[in-house]
Amino acid sequence: MSVATQHPPGREQLGTFGPEPQPLSLLVNGEVRTALADPATTLVEFLRDALGLTGTKIGCDRGACSACTVWIDGEVAASCMTLALDARERNITTIEGLSREGELHPVQQAFIDHDALQCGFCTPGMVMSCAQLVNRNPDCTLDDVKTAISGHLCRCGTYPNIFKATLAAAAASRKGQAK
Amino acid sequence: MRSFEWVDAQSIDEAATLLAATTANAPVIAKAGGMDVLDLMKEGIVQPTRVVNLKAIRSLGDVKLDNSGMQLGALATLAQIERHAGIRSHYRALAEAAAHAATPQVRNAATIGGNLLQRPRCWYFRNEHFHRVADPDHSEHQHHAIFENQQTVMVHASTLATPLLAYDASVHLTLGKGSSRSVELKDFLLPPSMKRDRDTIIADGEILTHISVPPIHPATRCAYHKQTERDSYDWPICDVAVVLQMNGDTVASAKIVLGWVAPVPRRAVDAEEILISRPLDDRSASEAAAAAVHGATPLAKNAYKVPVLETVIKRTILAAR
Amino acid sequence: MSADAFEQRSLSAGIVGAAVKQVTRKVPQGEPPPWPANAELQVVGKDVPRMDALDKVTGRARYTFDVQLPGMLYARTLNSTLPHARIKSIDTSRAEKHPGVRAVHVLDRLLMAAELRDPGDEAREPYPIVRFTGQPIAAVAATSARAAEAALALIRVEYEPMPHVTEFEAAIDPGSPPVFPGPTEQQATAGGGGAAKGLPQKGNLRGPSKGGSRGEIERGFKEADVVVEGEYRTQVQTHTPLEPHGVVADWRDEELTIYASTQHVMSVRDEAAEIFKLPKEKIRAISDYTGGGFGAKYGIGNYGTLAIHLSRKARAPVRLVLDRREEHVSVGNRPSTLQRLKIGAKRDGSLTAIELHSFGTGGVAAGAGVGMCHHSMYPCPNVSIEHYDVFTNAGPCAAFRGPGQTQGIFAFEQAIDAVAARLGIDPVAMRDKIDTRDADDVRARAAERRIGAEKIGWSRRRAPGSDAGPIKRGIGMAQSMWPYIVNSYTTCEIRIAGDGTVEAFCGTQDIGTGTRTVFAQVVAEELGLRAEDVRVHVGDSRFPPGPPSGGSRVTSSLTPAARNAAHAAARDIASRVAPLLKAPPDELIFKNGRIERRGDSKTSLGFAEALRRAGIETLVHRADRRDDYEGYARKAGELNISPHAIGGVQFAEVCVDTQTGAVKVERVVAVHDCGRPINPKLVESQILGGVTQGVSYALYEDRRLDAATGVQLNANIDQYKIVGSRETPQIEVHLIELLGGQSSTDARGVAEPANVATAAAIANAFFNATGKRIYTLPMTPANVLAALRAE
Repeated sequence: MSVATQHPPGREQLGTFGPEPQPLSLLVNGEVRTALADPATTLVEFLRDALGLTGTKIGCDRGACSACTVWIDGEVAASCMTLALDARERNITTIEGLSREGELHPVQQAFIDHDALQCGFCTPGMVMSCAQLVNRNPDCTLDDVKTAISGHLCRCGTYPNIFKATLAAAAASRKGQAK
Repeated sequence: MRSFEWVDAQSIDEAATLLAATTANAPVIAKAGGMDVLDLMKEGIVQPTRVVNLKAIRSLGDVKLDNSGMQLGALATLAQIERHAGIRSHYRALAEAAAHAATPQVRNAATIGGNLLQRPRCWYFRNEHFHRVADPDHSEHQHHAIFENQQTVMVHASTLATPLLAYDASVHLTLGKGSSRSVELKDFLLPPSMKRDRDTIIADGEILTHISVPPIHPATRCAYHKQTERDSYDWPICDVAVVLQMNGDTVASAKIVLGWVAPVPRRAVDAEEILISRPLDDRSASEAAAAAVHGATPLAKNAYKVPVLETVIKRTILAAR
Repeated sequence: MSADAFEQRSLSAGIVGAAVKQVTRKVPQGEPPPWPANAELQVVGKDVPRMDALDKVTGRARYTFDVQLPGMLYARTLNSTLPHARIKSIDTSRAEKHPGVRAVHVLDRLLMAAELRDPGDEAREPYPIVRFTGQPIAAVAATSARAAEAALALIRVEYEPMPHVTEFEAAIDPGSPPVFPGPTEQQATAGGGGAAKGLPQKGNLRGPSKGGSRGEIERGFKEADVVVEGEYRTQVQTHTPLEPHGVVADWRDEELTIYASTQHVMSVRDEAAEIFKLPKEKIRAISDYTGGGFGAKYGIGNYGTLAIHLSRKARAPVRLVLDRREEHVSVGNRPSTLQRLKIGAKRDGSLTAIELHSFGTGGVAAGAGVGMCHHSMYPCPNVSIEHYDVFTNAGPCAAFRGPGQTQGIFAFEQAIDAVAARLGIDPVAMRDKIDTRDADDVRARAAERRIGAEKIGWSRRRAPGSDAGPIKRGIGMAQSMWPYIVNSYTTCEIRIAGDGTVEAFCGTQDIGTGTRTVFAQVVAEELGLRAEDVRVHVGDSRFPPGPPSGGSRVTSSLTPAARNAAHAAARDIASRVAPLLKAPPDELIFKNGRIERRGDSKTSLGFAEALRRAGIETLVHRADRRDDYEGYARKAGELNISPHAIGGVQFAEVCVDTQTGAVKVERVVAVHDCGRPINPKLVESQILGGVTQGVSYALYEDRRLDAATGVQLNANIDQYKIVGSRETPQIEVHLIELLGGQSSTDARGVAEPANVATAAAIANAFFNATGKRIYTLPMTPANVLAALRAE
């Protein structure tokens, strides 16, 4: 989905850091972004506090609710349990980078169509996991959807609509590919 | 979480040297996937002054599987293990354990080395209060040990250790500069303790490089089951790995390992013996399961684990059929 | 509204498609004409997509958690490490000098907890007495969260420990350490709660309250052919919203602005005004989005008080958001209960006696009741209720989706099921026999039982414990009852600009319930527009007063006011546009974005064009929520309770592994009523949520405290277990459309009704599967295996 327009800043950043904040450059949504961070800064803190990308949420801060899900090199990651320094040389996609040029990812549109959200706080993370699944496996089954979001918690109880929405988005993307 | 100095180790030797410099006042810790150490640091249980990043050492992530067995680099992720076609077909119990650990997000980051070295998930252990303010009495022990629980009621957290023990795995450790030693996994794990800073025999400055598993015989059947309160993701009530070598329709040799019921994963030797030379059927499995839980010493709030474990052992034996 | 003149009107009432009849009601003059059934409306009753969905799926929705202001400081809270103690001294001097620290504040008054009727010696204490581990004491604001955290460690608190008690069984012992030295009172909050005033208190037992008692209980049992007794236990459940409680407080000379994750912006403003002695006009509370509340997010709380103090001291905005541990421990929970319930019934099922002896454990807060179902759901001449609140050294309880009633229904609907089983009466037929009051909820449930029984396949239900093997399946049902509540302090404002822009304002909030969307739909219906043509503004205390998002009362309170304001605006426009169309204003209707003469679509103008040509610059119309046409059974301040309740019936199908104790809820059929459903899709979402939380409560959730230290051991999200994707049953929702003839929209709420019956339905299905009753929640393997072993 997200094609990096640049290479991630790489091995030139390896070495010794901190404990005081230092400039750190990460490739986020196709752009190299630089900000100060100390080594204890998690990726989600870097995204939210340093870059102002507040779409990614923190629910538990322990990798147990997956509200903080982003993609690292296209795979889902708990950004609250990832140190920002561990995201060097990687390609990071956040909810802000999922839709391109105003066009929603099919999963985002399906979430709207199927009311797959209520309070919405878990939604960006859910969308990232479901979009990753649909991209990887447009033939996904209900069981695949359940597995893909097995680490996510939605306290409002939107799961049934998330299942429907993701399967609908997968069907739509199969159709799109067939054309 | 307090800040710390971060060093990217470029080689095993460099990492070993950096880690050997740890002291009580200036702890140096290793970090791979970071799942466990981040949790411990966030809870304030571990407060390192320096963290040595092992992930830049690319050679530690390889998985090799051939006629001589399997080598799992310490940095291999649980997702890698879960998806590896060779592991899925030859070491199915291990692939299953990986697939049922934690969440997809965590499996993408967590490493097999970190999984074996992680500290207990006991809710007293994981709370700073019981390290700094009060000693734990472990009176809420519903998830704790039902065997060998006199010294400690805590259980080792690794669920991948359960099948690895059933496969007779060994771990390989190095202090760098060409030194190395290998230790059978059963001797590597120690009963968890709140007083130590680790629950294995790994030494200061030592690095876990890989895990080796002997080759599997063609007539081997195996199964793994993790019993949980909740399916989506959960810590186990117990987990069971069964590896059987068959001689026709009867069992030639058996390994049955029980996780989360004793301070370290427990071989069910009595159960294994019952299966030898017998066909796999409801009766032999029932007898083996009963033997496995015989002698359990449950606590006031975890007696329910005994019948659950017995059932899971029986079902897992039959699943290996 | 007392000055209003009234007129008699004939209105439709009943279940659409089943039994609608005409009723006569006394209606205030000027009320809009009644709407027909949803099928004949344009926007209302339709599945309009949630208006804020786009912002939520793109991450653009800004929660309090996301508010970042220039110069904003980060605050962290210091919490008690002891469960009960006097604080002798607090030294913050080292923390104040820590680099990056801008302010430190020590709390001088504790909110949420019960308060001593006579403070006595405690009035002279320098600091609030610590009564639970995790009680907030002080907070630090610094330029980074890291600096604030580090400074906390530098605060020295000198405690004088006092004996404590955290377990219910120990707390009711007369010799146990008292949590409070004397009798207490508990104020109600905007979210409800509170406790009856002036009750006796002995040790940790406050009560009894005997509300609902009547008749002669002994005679009732003498008249009974069967008597069924049971002792039911429910656990402490924490709200666990994904967005924790939090505020960003910005104290300026001219105004205090509070961004709050809240269920009621007005309560944030009002509590801040009271505590900081500020005029309400000088406070602005804002909540664009709230990441879940479920009953615990009202007022400013202790964290808000701290943040405002810190902002005043530092003269900078301060962000104070709880971490997950604090969220579990200190800002509310559903109290645990013990309910000893004894029911007598005649052979035909009719109830002769209901005796309840109950306890609720709300930690340091009172108000841990078990609802009103035991005495008000089914007619019974002899009822005896004795309820006690039990104090423990644990975090305070708060309202939680169907407070009291969810616990109460778990016991009561199981007991009714047990009576039916004893009498050999089918559980559905049993309810047909006893659910006979003259009220809307009763009529709704009768229809809902029929629908639910058919959808779940009730006829295939077998005798209890029919499966031979270790895996046993069964079906059960339970009924819901929740008051239909109207908030009288509700005003909506409609502004229409000359270019056709329509804006709607109300100081309520949308916490994920779909309030923005239903608000827009109602306004759009009156003006003949699409919902997306209406710009809705909520979540700001500067708007006209709006209801709290609690008590399932927003839609019932907001939509009549919204419709009336929009109706007034439409009539105003009609009178100005009439000359252009050469038609009497009464004959102009608003439809499909046009204003046209009834029955003559050629005589019409587009909405915006009509406004322009009529020379309209800005129209503003406001309307209040008037009282229900039939009035109320009870009024308490702004809260009005209708004699008609909200019903709901749920059926569950479960699978019990009797060897591992694993319970799986495979399917739930939820049949509900909420008056006129304004947006069936959003109603369905609410019901999915209620059922899901009910499954979670029934099977997994359980706050565990360490008795020795009062520490919550599972104050996280992995060991405090909530339903995830794999535990979600197949849930089928069926809605009935019920016209009550009570207001201009006839809408009622559904959030709580959808939650209260689930655990009981699952428990009754468990009985059908296994032949054993499960008296204890949650249905973990430990509790299930114990229940199966019981004789």
